[in-house]
Amino acid sequence: MNLNGVVIDDTFAEAFGMRATRILITALNLKWAYHAARSLTGFATSVIGCGCEAGIERELSPDETPDNRPGIAVLLFAVSAKELAKQIERRVGQCVLTAPSSAIYAGLEGEPVNLVRNLRFFGDGFQMSKVIGGQRYWRVPVMDGEFLGQESTGMIKAVGGGNFLVLASGLSEALAACEAAISAMSKVRGVIMPFPGGVVRSGSKIGSKYKALSASTNSAFCPTLRGAVNSELTAETGAVLEIVIDGLSQNDVRDAMRAGIAAACSLGNAAGVQRISAGNYGGKLGPFHFRLHEIMQ
Amino acid sequence: MTPLILTLRKPARFELDISAVTPDRLAGVDVKAVALPGGRRLGELFDITGEDRQNIIIRNPDERLTHVGAGMRKGVLTVEGNCGAYAGLGMRGGTLIIEGNTGDFAGAAVAGSRQGMRGGIVAIHGNAGDRAGERMRRGLMLIRGEAGAYCGANMLAGTILVLGQVGPMPGFQLKRGSLLLAHTPNPVPATFQDSGEHSLLFLTLLEKQLRRDHHLANFLPPISRPVRRYCGDMACGGTGEMLVFA
Repeated sequence: MNLNGVVIDDTFAEAFGMRATRILITALNLKWAYHAARSLTGFATSVIGCGCEAGIERELSPDETPDNRPGIAVLLFAVSAKELAKQIERRVGQCVLTAPSSAIYAGLEGEPVNLVRNLRFFGDGFQMSKVIGGQRYWRVPVMDGEFLGQESTGMIKAVGGGNFLVLASGLSEALAACEAAISAMSKVRGVIMPFPGGVVRSGSKIGSKYKALSASTNSAFCPTLRGAVNSELTAETGAVLEIVIDGLSQNDVRDAMRAGIAAACSLGNAAGVQRISAGNYGGKLGPFHFRLHEIMQ
Repeated sequence: MTPLILTLRKPARFELDISAVTPDRLAGVDVKAVALPGGRRLGELFDITGEDRQNIIIRNPDERLTHVGAGMRKGVLTVEGNCGAYAGLGMRGGTLIIEGNTGDFAGAAVAGSRQGMRGGIVAIHGNAGDRAGERMRRGLMLIRGEAGAYCGANMLAGTILVLGQVGPMPGFQLKRGSLLLAHTPNPVPATFQDSGEHSLLFLTLLEKQLRRDHHLANFLPPISRPVRRYCGDMACGGTGEMLVFA
């Protein structure tokens, strides 16, 4: 398959089951909602070292939020319900409760998982509960007035680790293609690209020569190792970047991959974009397989 | 389905406890044969039409009808006029709409119980008598007119909104919960302490929710606005509040 002179490999991305939630952060204005959301989703690139993968899904206009203020929708993904609950509580407690003027609400229906259920005790007995429309909210007195938060949010089964690789003639060309892809993918609902700027350069393979490590650099796609290992790269490829996608459903991941690959390919071979590939483990580890050719048909 | 309508044939000669008339208690029974305390059957006192027992209307009511919607758990019960005391007593859920005045103890506790209404919405379009919402534990009470003495006394939690004047000693021994008042009580009880004017976000959520109910939306003034907060009852821990629209 070839799009605008860019070769689409006949391969697939392998993804895993995760637990996810969406939470809505509002504030006096979008600036402070962003401060809270960026803080909450900071250091959340990979479950391997961060406990969860999190990112900003989109901005919310005042008519989309429970309290008629501007807000941000954030998605969090973790490997288990227990870990997700732990990460939500820790991150909301440190990053949203602390942020001036912020409030937090559930953005998803599903199995209940604590949002501010335990954080309310920060109120030292002065916290107040209000049940509105069948949902319980907590009002916690803080120095700027009150922190308002919904007691719980909904958790669903989701998909983590959808991905594709952009192979280009050089780093600048690969980055330009990825930026175009991320720009298009950020318009898709229900997905986040958790790595910095949505792009990751340290793709990994399973295993390592060091016994303590379960994963190591994806040597087959490292341009400097061409000749030293069984490389996937031709002599023309100067850099490879990966975009990893977590989504609330398989369709969300598929839509994001389609939008991203199309945007990357729209720059064309003339702009140095050579190939689109994907990361997998032979199909043995993850239950979700996203075949590039099927997605781009 | 048309609502189940109970029309009182003639004014009651004595107080009539109609706590049997709730959506949950009339589900699956012969409505006319339902006996009231004292032995009279609904069919003897009311003309009964319609079939939707989740939506009941009491037509042509008077002040001698007591315990309207007492203990109700679901559905909608509308009283097209005034009713007597104990409306919504110990209510658990659903919506009770009273288009006129109520007597004392609306949404209060059943005798001997430590908790008043524990859920649902009571909307009183007229005035409420004394001790409205006494010992209230959860839910929402809206009083469009005036409230009598001791409104929200011994309240444990929940929200009472009064758009008219309140009588003496509102929130007496209130432990938790919110009294939302359109007018400052005169005098403010000595055990409520002024904590200044605030904009509270939960009022926006509350107003949005109330406006979704069409029967409330029409008369509800904007409640998402700054309020003066009085903490109290300081004689009972001071973790409750009286909010007066600024």
